Amino acid sequence: MKFWEIGKRNLKEISRNPVLLGFLLGMPVAFMLVFCAAAGGGQAGPIALSIVDEDHSQTSTVFIQYIGSVEAIELNEPIYSQESQAQEDLENGRLSFYLLIPSGFGEATQTQQSINLELVHKGADPMIGLQLKPVIEAVGSEFLGVAPPLNVELKGMESEIKNPAVNFYFPGIAVFGLMILISTAAEIIAGDREKGFLARMFTTPARPWDFILGYSLPFIPVLIVSTVLYFGVGMALGLTVVGNLGHAFLIFFLIGFCAIGIGMIVGSLVKSESQAGVSWLFIVPMAMISGAWFTVERMPSALKSIAGALPFIHAIDASRTVINGAPFSAIMLDIYWLIGWAVVLFAAGIMLFRRTMVS
Amino acid sequence: MNAVQTFKLTKQFDGLVAVNGIDLEIKKGELFSFLGPNGAGKTTTIRMLCCLLKPTKGTASILGYDVVKTPFAVKRLIGVSPQDTILSERLNCWENLALIGKVHGLSSDKVKERSKELLETMGLVERAKDQVRKFSGGMKRRLSIAMALVSDPQVLFLDEPTLGLDPQARRAIWEYLAELKGKKTILLTTHYMEEADSLSDRIGIIDEGRVVALGTAQELKTNLFGMRNMVVSTESLTAEVIADLHGKYSRVAVTKGQLKISHKDLDFKEIVDYLHSRGVAVYSAALEQSTLEDVFIQITGKKLRD
Repeated sequence: MKFWEIGKRNLKEISRNPVLLGFLLGMPVAFMLVFCAAAGGGQAGPIALSIVDEDHSQTSTVFIQYIGSVEAIELNEPIYSQESQAQEDLENGRLSFYLLIPSGFGEATQTQQSINLELVHKGADPMIGLQLKPVIEAVGSEFLGVAPPLNVELKGMESEIKNPAVNFYFPGIAVFGLMILISTAAEIIAGDREKGFLARMFTTPARPWDFILGYSLPFIPVLIVSTVLYFGVGMALGLTVVGNLGHAFLIFFLIGFCAIGIGMIVGSLVKSESQAGVSWLFIVPMAMISGAWFTVERMPSALKSIAGALPFIHAIDASRTVINGAPFSAIMLDIYWLIGWAVVLFAAGIMLFRRTMVS
Repeated sequence: MNAVQTFKLTKQFDGLVAVNGIDLEIKKGELFSFLGPNGAGKTTTIRMLCCLLKPTKGTASILGYDVVKTPFAVKRLIGVSPQDTILSERLNCWENLALIGKVHGLSSDKVKERSKELLETMGLVERAKDQVRKFSGGMKRRLSIAMALVSDPQVLFLDEPTLGLDPQARRAIWEYLAELKGKKTILLTTHYMEEADSLSDRIGIIDEGRVVALGTAQELKTNLFGMRNMVVSTESLTAEVIADLHGKYSRVAVTKGQLKISHKDLDFKEIVDYLHSRGVAVYSAALEQSTLEDVFIQITGKKLRD
């Protein structure tokens, strides 16, 4: 159990370093407070929604009334009867977005045909539409009983979301918070390497995997405490966890583990004075292209491919989906992807340690 | 079987030869000192023996285990105190000692017993529960040596173990090392002539990656070179006289009214007569035995701190 002794030492080094611990736990919480407060926080009012009713049927009228009864939505008056009027108002800045109920909506609901509702927004401001989309989908599913054009997995649940902005930002900020583990793990390893502590430990019979486990295990309590803290702050700000909390925890745990793995690799390769730069050079662009702070739906496909190959976007998407009510089956692929990355990163870490042990 | 044996041990860094084909045999229970200036290759040799550096050529064995082929078998047998005092700064003495002891596979009880004994020897009992980042340099170095000893290793590598310690602490460590003589094989590197002289069974003088002299302190000081020293208390030495002496003798040093001349087959009368003939006042003159420093300077042409 050599790794256990190394792990105990590292846990003590972390827990007795208030600056490091404060940065690790405090910064993401501060970020979450800023982002969620900026997005309305717990006191956020309902989102004002304009509607174009091209169907003019009894069903569409009842559906509009039904939407109006949802707490998170406040209906703008009047209801447009032609899309061209709404489009004009959108172009003139009088509207940010509108929901289009197409002609044939009432008939389609009775014959159970495919229904397309369009949430039209300004290109420059996709965020509010994105926040509203799951609410509309859920309200639609609830109203219709089934959801031919809508996400069936979200059926009847999104209406429970108290504050869509917090539900949108929370997973991104939490994953970003766990990405800070990259810098922390790298700092500890690079520091121990440069001060010669690792070299001293390399003269003992400890093996490479003892070091990998010994340097990663102490972060597990940190990971658990961070995740609990994030959920606590998130819920205080109005986060609604519709899906399975355990699944969300699993995703955060896996991405946290990947971050530790990346940190160990950075720490094994880079000098301690440059590790912060290298880590943040990685963390900030990755957080951006992974949709931690804003939607990446309109991101160029090349960037999307890069983000898709890396683990972070999978963690953000999967946690967002699962928090909003999706079942485990909807996030299986993301989970496999995260496990795959964790395995690759730790295997690479062991190889690097093996190389570092004898120069 | 030798405790430490090297076979043409060589290390090059980007074409620079740091250790150049060292062949060395250290017997079990022997205390062997490496004496040499900075950059001579002492630490590089120790790092190869501790399996931290791979030799460019040649190899070495510790109690029969090859450092390249069986590093983990070697690591089970050795204890190392590196040149820089490297500790886990936010751990206390007990925790630092337990870390090394347990990684070496010692039980909790054994670690406690060994730690208590070593903390007493090193005079650290009173501060044993304090985080070591608050310690002075001397205290850290004492703990570092205790960490090398906690696993009760058969072969001990001490790289400059008393560097930066006050004379009292240095003496305490020398006494402890003297007690270990015969029980453990110890390889230490040092700048301190007195340390090498008083502690070592044998001394290897290392310079530019080669062992340039090897033997007991006495052998090195007498038999090997037959150097004699003469110390003269004097005044009115002229630059001309000093230059003249430099031309005749191997080594001439002048410090605060004292002239020291080292040479093989040195003739006392000849020097006194010469000084008188040049009008130099001689207050006293005496012959002295060579010190290790004289030997070192004679061999390497350098002072130890060069």
